[in-house]
Amino acid sequence: MNAPQHASLIGQRIPKMDAPEKVAGKTRYIQDLNLPGQLYGLILRTERVHARIVSIDTSAAKALPGVRAVLTAADVPIHPIGVNKDNPPLKGDKVRCERDEVAAVAADSLEIAQAALKLITVEYEDLPPLFDPRDSIKPGAPVIHEAKPDNVAMAFDYAHGDVEQGEADSDVVVEDEFTLHRVTHCCMGVSGVIADFEPVSGNLTLYSNTQVPFLHKREFAEVLGMDPSRIRIIQPPIGGGFGSKLDIYPFEPIAVYLARATRRPVKLIFTREEEFIASPTRQPAIIRLRSGAKRDGTLTFRTVDVLLDNGGYTSWGATIPFVMMQTFSSLYRVPHCRYHTKAVYTNNPFAGSFRGYGNLQATFAIEQQMDKLADALGMDAYQFRLKNAQEAGEITGQGMHFKTCGFKDCLETAAGRSGFAEKRKALGAAKGLTGIRRGVGMASMLHVGGGAKIYPSDGCGTILKLDDFGHVTIMTGASEIGQGSETVLAQLVCEELGVPMSAVTVVNNDTDITPWDVGVHASRTTFIAGNSAIGAARKAKDKILAAASTVSNMRAEELDLKGGNIVRAADGEKVMPLAKMLRQLHFSDKAELVMTTNYYEPPSVHQDKGFKGDVSAAYAWATQVVEVEVDTDTGIVRLLKVWAAHDVGRVLNEMGIEGQIEGGIIMGQGYALCEDMPVVDGHLVNPAFRDYKLITAPEIPEMDIQFIETMDGEGPQGAKGVGEAPSICMAAAVANAIENATGVRITSLPFTPERVYSALKGKLQ
Amino acid sequence: MTAIERYLAPADLDSALAALAGGNATVLAGGTDLMPQINAGKVAFRPILLNIRRIPDLRAVEVGQGRITIGALVTITELKDNPVIAKAVPLLAEAADHFASDQVRNMGTIGGNVANASPAGDTLVPLLVLDAQVELASATGRRSVPMAEFFTGPGRSVRRPDELITGLSLPLPRLRTVSRFVKFGTRPALDISAVSIGFSATLDSGRLSDVRVAFGAVGPTPMRGRATEAVLEGAPLDAGLIAKAAATAQDEVKPIDDLRASAWYRRELIHNLLGKVLSDVVSR
Ligand SMILES: Cc1cc2nc3c(=O)[nH]c(=O)nc-3n(C[C@H](O)[C@H](O)[C@H](O)COP(=O)(O)OP(=O)(O)OC[C@H]3O[C@@H](n4cnc5c(N)ncnc54)[C@H](O)[C@@H]3O)c2cc1C
Repeated sequence: MNAPQHASLIGQRIPKMDAPEKVAGKTRYIQDLNLPGQLYGLILRTERVHARIVSIDTSAAKALPGVRAVLTAADVPIHPIGVNKDNPPLKGDKVRCERDEVAAVAADSLEIAQAALKLITVEYEDLPPLFDPRDSIKPGAPVIHEAKPDNVAMAFDYAHGDVEQGEADSDVVVEDEFTLHRVTHCCMGVSGVIADFEPVSGNLTLYSNTQVPFLHKREFAEVLGMDPSRIRIIQPPIGGGFGSKLDIYPFEPIAVYLARATRRPVKLIFTREEEFIASPTRQPAIIRLRSGAKRDGTLTFRTVDVLLDNGGYTSWGATIPFVMMQTFSSLYRVPHCRYHTKAVYTNNPFAGSFRGYGNLQATFAIEQQMDKLADALGMDAYQFRLKNAQEAGEITGQGMHFKTCGFKDCLETAAGRSGFAEKRKALGAAKGLTGIRRGVGMASMLHVGGGAKIYPSDGCGTILKLDDFGHVTIMTGASEIGQGSETVLAQLVCEELGVPMSAVTVVNNDTDITPWDVGVHASRTTFIAGNSAIGAARKAKDKILAAASTVSNMRAEELDLKGGNIVRAADGEKVMPLAKMLRQLHFSDKAELVMTTNYYEPPSVHQDKGFKGDVSAAYAWATQVVEVEVDTDTGIVRLLKVWAAHDVGRVLNEMGIEGQIEGGIIMGQGYALCEDMPVVDGHLVNPAFRDYKLITAPEIPEMDIQFIETMDGEGPQGAKGVGEAPSICMAAAVANAIENATGVRITSLPFTPERVYSALKGKLQ
Repeated sequence: MTAIERYLAPADLDSALAALAGGNATVLAGGTDLMPQINAGKVAFRPILLNIRRIPDLRAVEVGQGRITIGALVTITELKDNPVIAKAVPLLAEAADHFASDQVRNMGTIGGNVANASPAGDTLVPLLVLDAQVELASATGRRSVPMAEFFTGPGRSVRRPDELITGLSLPLPRLRTVSRFVKFGTRPALDISAVSIGFSATLDSGRLSDVRVAFGAVGPTPMRGRATEAVLEGAPLDAGLIAKAAATAQDEVKPIDDLRASAWYRRELIHNLLGKVLSDVVSR
């Protein structure tokens, strides 16, 4: 007899569950949400970037009909936010950057709120500003925060081995300074919040775009002096995060202050211009890197000195040196490494966390030097990398343990499919000529792929229930920010319970319902929340099969769940419908519902004070090769093709992972070629999409994306995290390709036509 | 922002001109320049908002007596797709193909592009080398101004506030005319020109005559390159002449530093891109 075949969902192309609403333009974002009696909040930002506030006059604004509250620092408790607790939501004594919030208004309409802002007058007394982090650390420099008289917001020191020995062992040494610029996330959904106090109980509901609801809740409780259990965070569908929503920002407590003062719900949404000016950026960095190798191509040492432009305040983003140092210490086998980073205050807009978390900057420096070292040794650039690449089983100087490692496969695949070695040689032969030149470049990356224990817990909880009709509801702590997490979680649960995707609902946006999760960051959601969901599903399955065993007189091990039925494991023969079993359980003498909970904590460790320890349960690898065309008459660089090979552990949703990789490549392309935020005297000069150049459709290159499946033992169905990985290599690979095409190496980003042209000018025939 | 007191959308030209006569109306065509300028606070509405989009006379494209007339309301999409325009003045169709994005092209008009008088306006450089006349009308009369005399500064022209641009009138190019348009921006779509070059000439046995060269985004107005034209006129087009013309062009443009490019880079681009255009003409 032929039993029905039930194909696995793993590796299939599953459309995102939220796609139909989004494509139809029907998703209800925070912008679409309005509460009865709601007021509109707006923020008055400073005109100066470093100044003492002498006085603020809000009387005229308060007198305007329709204005319900005007607040300044004098009206609210002073409770600074951010990792260094250096950022008071409303500034009272002084302002330190263009974003600074000096007053806030709540009014009956947006128009009235806008008019009220214009009626507020602020008197400032300018202080000497700092715009270059190199100036900030000079002796006698003006002080931006009194608590940090040396202007150093954070410093990181790491070492393994003995770099002096490494220098002595080296036959070639290269040293360069790399300068990396400021870019921002450009989420299609701008920042916003609605704060709503229940009038009698005083409980607070925040409708928020945060990507870390549980940490957010805790921080809000601190800032507002409230019992955390009285704060509920609901996340409407989020129009993109990419790290930008990892921190609490001043506008959020400000909305709450306004709601508290007016006893009305307050909605505060950024304009696009405000989003550019007042949401975080990637860290501008100056990296001085020195590396050496032996004649046989073995890497000997690396010394790294990084200066980060922190801007006026400190966000989580100031901790990117954690990730940068992983790349310096462990992407390749390097016996001796010394690393030092300072994040220093300036009066520029402050940086935050952004997809890749420092790894784009570190990889840009390292992978350019890999080419330089190979050329200095007269070695093939690909062979040189292969020789120093990590392998499975390695425990690096920093204590990272690579249980699975597809690095060499990534290198071989990307190099092989692109014909990298031959092309690099052939195209490089025409270096120095003018006209339209072509070149290829390669870069690889290492990133956490199994969470990152930067917080005492890196876990995620799941609550799962099945109803009388076999419908499954997954309540997960993991937020959906467009990355496709709810789809992959549903898929993993369906795989366990043998039900179709249509039988699942995911609830993931309400802290009163969902169990704790540390948040969306570190490419962790599929891995951590996925394992958590699988665990909950397995518990439910055990319960169902145990019950089915009593009814069917078969042992539970002989049964399975497939196609919405309880089946015989051996041949898939139907025993009874799942829904019927669930109803029998529910309406029996022992009346029971199938509801389970699970909490997954990965087997990783919190690093010690020297930044050593196996911080992630798995590590992701990738190699990307690019081919570019450089027009030496104009400096324009066109990206023709990208070959990307990624160690993803295992493909869960092929469509989802392709989307992540394609999107990441394009984001990396924008970072490499055109995105830029010039800040002049502390002011952003291009706060609009007309002048902030995102990649447009015709510039997107052809892509050859290959998955290396290393089947990670700890990963959900073998998968690793890949969210950040695809954006990391591009800038480095493009830099190497431009050098291959022209013979000119450019160490500062972005590679705009004018920068490339001026670098080439006078150097070619 | 001043409040709009009256909104008018007349169906005939005379009513529109009457409404404009007092000089206190804002003209709205596609709105693709006007609305961003209003929203950014750079321009304020006048008491009357005059929507000219319902005036059919301003949409016509006509060929006759050795000229082509293009109505002010002809959209950038029509410039690109209209077969009459493509045949008579291919340069304009080519410029339209480098213009903004489909959405903006569907709304934006040639009259708006000219009236807006941006040094980077993409139809202006081709219109200059095609020797266009700007047709103006007011309640008191009509006049026609050569393109080369129309602009007086960034966003400024000789058009009076009571005048409407009704269209552009261009002589049909002669036989053996070669023409080129180059727009350089940092990306292929949705970019404002960092520089642009228009070129038109009659090529006969290796010599150029009736040479017209124009540059965009390298001065306060789109400009004719008179010195460059003089170098090229009548001389045999060879490598030496190309180098000389490129150097002359580089000297005669008057670019500024702005967000899109430095003055130095703009001069370099003018030099290199004009060289490319001329080499391309020789090789055909
Ligand atoms: C995203 C974007 C991209 C763009 N890209 C480009 C580009 O690549 N190249 C380019 O050149 N431009 C570009 N523009 C600018 C704009 O689209 C063009 O200048 C367009 O041709 C303007 O036409 P319009 O009909 O929309 O003018 P409107 O905005 O309606 O009017 C512009 C100005 O001219 C006046 N006006 C309009 N018509 C007349 C008339 N018949 N008589 C008298 N006055 C009149 C108006 O009062 C107003 O002051 C872009 C704009 C946007 C928003």
